[in-house]
Amino acid sequence: MRELKITSVTLPTFTLVLSLLMIFLTPDVYSADIGNCLLCHKYPGLSRVDEKGKLRLLYINEDIFNNSVHAKVKCEGCHLDIQKIPHDPAKKVDCLAECHIKEPSSEQKFSHKDIEKTVAMSVHSKYDKDGKEKKFSEDLPTCKECHDEPLYRPISFFKQVRAGISELSLSRCKSCHKKEDFIYKFYNHVTSRMHRTRNPLNIAESCSRCHDDLQIIKRHNLSAKAAFSYGETFHGKAARFMDERIPDCLDCHVKKGDASHLMLSKENPESAIHEKNKGKICASIDCHPSASPKLAKYGVHSEFSLDRSPAQYYFTVFFIILTGGTLLPLMGIILLDLIRKLFPNAMIRRRK
Amino acid sequence: MATTENMSITPEAAEAAGDFYTYVEGVGNIPRDIYKHVKSDPLGDLPRYSIHIVTQHFLTFISFLILAATGLTLHFADLWWASFAISLFGGAETGRLIHRISAIVMVAASVYHLVTIIGGTISKSMRKRFDIKRTQIPLPKDLQDIIHDFRYFIGKEPYRPKMEKFMYKQKLHYLAILWGTFVLISAGSMLLFPEKMATILPNPVFFQDLARLLHADEAVMAITVVVFWHWSNVHLVPGRFPLQWSFITGRITREHQIEEHFLEYLNNLKEIPEEREYMKKILREKGLETY
Repeated sequence: MRELKITSVTLPTFTLVLSLLMIFLTPDVYSADIGNCLLCHKYPGLSRVDEKGKLRLLYINEDIFNNSVHAKVKCEGCHLDIQKIPHDPAKKVDCLAECHIKEPSSEQKFSHKDIEKTVAMSVHSKYDKDGKEKKFSEDLPTCKECHDEPLYRPISFFKQVRAGISELSLSRCKSCHKKEDFIYKFYNHVTSRMHRTRNPLNIAESCSRCHDDLQIIKRHNLSAKAAFSYGETFHGKAARFMDERIPDCLDCHVKKGDASHLMLSKENPESAIHEKNKGKICASIDCHPSASPKLAKYGVHSEFSLDRSPAQYYFTVFFIILTGGTLLPLMGIILLDLIRKLFPNAMIRRRK
Repeated sequence: MATTENMSITPEAAEAAGDFYTYVEGVGNIPRDIYKHVKSDPLGDLPRYSIHIVTQHFLTFISFLILAATGLTLHFADLWWASFAISLFGGAETGRLIHRISAIVMVAASVYHLVTIIGGTISKSMRKRFDIKRTQIPLPKDLQDIIHDFRYFIGKEPYRPKMEKFMYKQKLHYLAILWGTFVLISAGSMLLFPEKMATILPNPVFFQDLARLLHADEAVMAITVVVFWHWSNVHLVPGRFPLQWSFITGRITREHQIEEHFLEYLNNLKEIPEEREYMKKILREKGLETY
């Protein structure tokens, strides 16, 4: 039951807890605004219409930013092209840039550059095995296609597992680490790596941006509307109800122990969803531990359309006809009965 | 005992007047429309269901409503109301648990029903009191009754058919429940034990998809039939509105029994002396003995 506690927290409650935490627990010392960018960007109305006619909101909510994973990074750490204020239209942020923060274990400047190599080996790489650029490579995702600026979503497991930071567990940090700023930062950092930042529905929605796009499916010859067909199964239905224990896209498509950046095609024998490996994924300790490899034969992407699963399609049609065909005559009897009750003595042929 | 002075017409004369009058030994000639003149207690005058049937109906309908509410919510997870509905049940996890507990109740009620029905039939057969006409088993007469009722609805017959304890509507509904319960329990078990079923079924992909569709589609059908057909017929149509108490009291009103289950009423007259006396009194009061 104890492990249920965190999973059964519904999103509204969770958001409420998170917002309350933001209000009460956020120390002001978090601010990384050395360049004083908020002088302008703190105004909620700050926006402009860009060359393409799209409205761009330039407002930065300091509270939200300070609770995000990048809270300690200076604005200039990512927006490298901005050197002076007022600045020219800023370029898009390159996540692979060397960042103005030091990785504490190596004292090296931090970078997401290594991830690029992992993604290059995955199914999402823009280049094929021979290093040639794939067809429609512009459809393939870059960092920001999947990642937004994630917020810390801390958990505490001091006596009870619950969402948010426990003052009790913080007090343990405080006995050695004096700087409160440091404590919050590392507590958030460590705990947020221990569980998913996003819930299954959120992940499915993120994947659906490309994998439910009919044109992308057609161009890349994909086999299903991935997120939609996931939503048709019990996994997807539970995800809709914010169940956190339900498997999402990454739970099956990423090999245990590998990062989600190394997602492989189902044809790759190394892939988690390759015919030979599928059984292991279903039978993983948190899911169906007692299952035989045959369980993996079930359809986890169900799409009852005429061209993909005709048997199921006609079965559904049959049931619609059966339901209508049963109900309408039955309702007809009731209707005739009611009409007759209005004219109880009406007779076509009176019998004496 | 039978007093011939109450009947001024002979059985032969009644026969000549068509089937409007029914001669009952020791009571008299009962006109078909007598139900318009009898007194009825809304809670029911005549026995219809045993305590077992009433209990089974309670178990079934309560579990059915809970199953429908939780099941529809889980099935239509992507609709706007589903997230509100699921929070009523305490989330998806608890909703599923409630669904499964109710399913156990429904299975138990079905088993209980089978036991009482089979046991009752055996015990009645042994006492030579089993009468197939008083059961839910469809008989050729039901087809005649449907045709007769249709003729009545369009004005070609003056009165409803004389029907047994269970009329054609009830037999249809009972058969639908037998089929529906069987389908829902078997498809539901396939969904409840996916690991086990994967090793048993010859073609797991096909059968799992089939079970998933079958369970949901059959449930939607059952729910629509119960809401639009069963509730209308039993509680909402004129004469039954706002509530028929039979499902609680196990008894049927005299008026209803004579109108829709006339042949069963004749059985009641044979079996219940008080009812025989009452009918005699009514016939006398209404001056019907002069016929």
